[in-house]
Amino acid sequence: MHLRPIPCVLAALFATSTAHADDFQLQRVLVEGARASQLGIADSAGAGSAGARDLAGRIAYRPGELLEVTPGLIASQHSGEGKANQFYLRGFNLDHGTDLATWVDGMPVNQRSHAHGQGWTDLNFLIPELVGRLDYRKGPYSAREGDFSSAGVAALSYANRLVKNIASATVGQDGYRRAMVAGSQEAAGGSLLYALEAMHNDGPWTRPDDYRKLNAVLRYSRGFANNGWSVTAMSYRGDWNSTDQIPLRAVQDGRIGRFDLIDDSDGGEARRLSLSGIWRRTDADSASKVSAYAIRNRLELFSNFTYYQDDPVNGDQFAQPDGRITTGIDATHTWHMHRTDTLSSDLTVGAQLQNDNIFNGLYDTRKRERIATTREDHIVETSGAVFIESATRWSDALRTVAGVRASNYRFRVDGDRLENAGKAHDTLVTPTLNIVYGPWASTELYANYGQGFHSNDARGTVATVDPKTMEAVDPTPGLVRSRGYEFGVRTEAIPKMQTSLAVYRLDFDSELTYIGDAGNTEAGDPSRRYGIEFSNYYRPLKWLSIDLDAAWARARSRGGNPDGDRVPGAIEGVAQLGVTVDPSGPWSGSLRLRWFGPRPLIEDDSVRSNASLTLNGRIGYRLANDLRLELEGFNLTNRRASAIDYFYASQLQGEAAPVADVHFHPIEPRSLRLTLVKRW
Amino acid sequence: MTLRAVKMWCALALLCVSTVASAHRFHFGMTDISYNERTGSTEIVHTYTAHDIEALLLNLYGRQFDLSDPEDQDVLRKYVEGRFWIAAQDATRLPATWIGMTVDANSIVIYQEIGNTPLTRAATIRQGVLIDFLPEQVNTVNLNTDGAVRSLTFSRKALEQPAR
Repeated sequence: MHLRPIPCVLAALFATSTAHADDFQLQRVLVEGARASQLGIADSAGAGSAGARDLAGRIAYRPGELLEVTPGLIASQHSGEGKANQFYLRGFNLDHGTDLATWVDGMPVNQRSHAHGQGWTDLNFLIPELVGRLDYRKGPYSAREGDFSSAGVAALSYANRLVKNIASATVGQDGYRRAMVAGSQEAAGGSLLYALEAMHNDGPWTRPDDYRKLNAVLRYSRGFANNGWSVTAMSYRGDWNSTDQIPLRAVQDGRIGRFDLIDDSDGGEARRLSLSGIWRRTDADSASKVSAYAIRNRLELFSNFTYYQDDPVNGDQFAQPDGRITTGIDATHTWHMHRTDTLSSDLTVGAQLQNDNIFNGLYDTRKRERIATTREDHIVETSGAVFIESATRWSDALRTVAGVRASNYRFRVDGDRLENAGKAHDTLVTPTLNIVYGPWASTELYANYGQGFHSNDARGTVATVDPKTMEAVDPTPGLVRSRGYEFGVRTEAIPKMQTSLAVYRLDFDSELTYIGDAGNTEAGDPSRRYGIEFSNYYRPLKWLSIDLDAAWARARSRGGNPDGDRVPGAIEGVAQLGVTVDPSGPWSGSLRLRWFGPRPLIEDDSVRSNASLTLNGRIGYRLANDLRLELEGFNLTNRRASAIDYFYASQLQGEAAPVADVHFHPIEPRSLRLTLVKRW
Repeated sequence: MTLRAVKMWCALALLCVSTVASAHRFHFGMTDISYNERTGSTEIVHTYTAHDIEALLLNLYGRQFDLSDPEDQDVLRKYVEGRFWIAAQDATRLPATWIGMTVDANSIVIYQEIGNTPLTRAATIRQGVLIDFLPEQVNTVNLNTDGAVRSLTFSRKALEQPAR
């Protein structure tokens, strides 16, 4: 008989436990409206939380930019507005979300083994007005976090009820229109939350994006967040044209303008439907949480990054459709124990299960019509994980959080090519340890060690031949380990100021990247990153707050590549300075300066992208008690800079051979949006 | 380390902690009610643990509250008014005016007033603040009548009590 020790012990524990009502792991009391103190709460200098007010005060061109409340994180766009954002954090070009785990209301946003990019994170379904909080954590230091969390984790949660119903209407330049209504009401002993959003945006592009979005949320909840349950349905649909990155040479010699495009049929459409539920029970001695979800995602995506290099007649446009059903369940249980007056500990056990049933492919297309199939797959990817974490307060000055996680992945790929079909599996055990020492009233020191991982595209784990070139390839491992080390300090020694400083190292066994436009997975070299992050929030007066974040990172590949050891796209620095003024009168305003640091574009560092500096601003005017007018301005200084740069070869019509060149997507020029917000 | 080894470690860790005795925090609120002869009004002063009120609002609305902000104070006012009241003999509620509140890191003090009404008109008191959120919450109401103080204890089992 196979011994099952955990269920036995769990049963024994439950048999003797008694129920009391309590709450734990709560934020400290907010009395001055300042950002909530993380002293005594966060386990590392890179962890934190942003509340609804923080988020409402952000000036976001697109919903994904809400994640920029995480110090050091940049969210940009390199294509049509409906596409997943491009993320940068901790010396990574995270592509569309590789190594940044994003969660909304207990549902994973990252899509694994995605047709276009591993960990695809499309946040366009997010309705900012509903977000109650965003918790972030940088580095692989928590056993609770699994796939894609090595650079960081951002978890957003929607509120169960709104203090006031809200309706807003926005008009802006470049065809921007948005209407949104959200509210909640008590119903059948619980709360019914609803939201509806319709949006249109063309952007500054010669061929308008014509991005049309329709978004809806309906939630019913009973009880309190820590003692109750909720069921949520969400629906999102978006359709758009894309202006993909363009070759610098064609702009410089005047063949095209900065906002022109090469292939005028790029674009896509996305559909997302989800049904999810969260149940939580908290008492004096324990807390339990179970969340379950079913998500249906559909994406049609047409891109052309090399123009006429591979097919001078039809062009190189390709389609990457992806349809999937993701189901999962997460459960945690925490025991809260007081041993003595000063010694207490929380022991948490958790289990996570996720299954993805995926149909995706890669096709050559011309004006969105399929002309050839590169690959076509049915993927079933199933993962399970168990973790245990012990958070112990040894004394008033010392606490530790130690954990271990075991993750198991199973990949099954059935495709149009027998040699690239099969099954694979991988298991990884990852320990974490956090030590927090704070003998002073308002300062804490952190030492963090942890292992994390990202999963690789399932298609790479069983591949034997490159479907494009027909060359033999080696299968890649399913899971890739990372190791993080960090020292940090957080202090509130200066009155009304919160400061944190972190120095970290993050090693990856292999920078594995799925080459979306080639249809295979490339096993890269090991890598090492060092970085420093400095974050400040200062609120000298009730109506004035200033935040200043700066991050620097050094990323190097460690495989002895003769071309060089740089990691293309790896960001070297990020900084933000924000000033928010909110006096008691009708006027309020904020300004935000963002520095998006330089990136090497090829391994030998001979081609680099420039840093860019952008300024966004907002002015609010209260017309009546519950009626506000807001004017938002983006890129106020009208900088000409790139949202992204790549260096690779492409060929335009009329060119005899491929040309290695910088390809870029410009940031949007200065634009304004005017919003009327009514609350009741 | 294999998965099986991890399971064994987990089980051992669980066994170690299972024998530990547990203690829990006490949750209580205090409400002082007295008649002010000078103004002719009945004055009500509530004191709650700031942590409990913070947790209540966080878990009710899913966001943090700034109780120095009048709009956020208003949310707490509606919550308290829905759970605390004094009723007259004919079961009508005596109209309590919200005077204001003070907040510090430890406690939240709320001031209410029933204008031109002696405490003797009070027949029943309901005090359910925080009891719906924290089943162990105990609220003590001190009735200060003619210099004598009488204490009533409210809990999940006793949400409403006679004032006399």
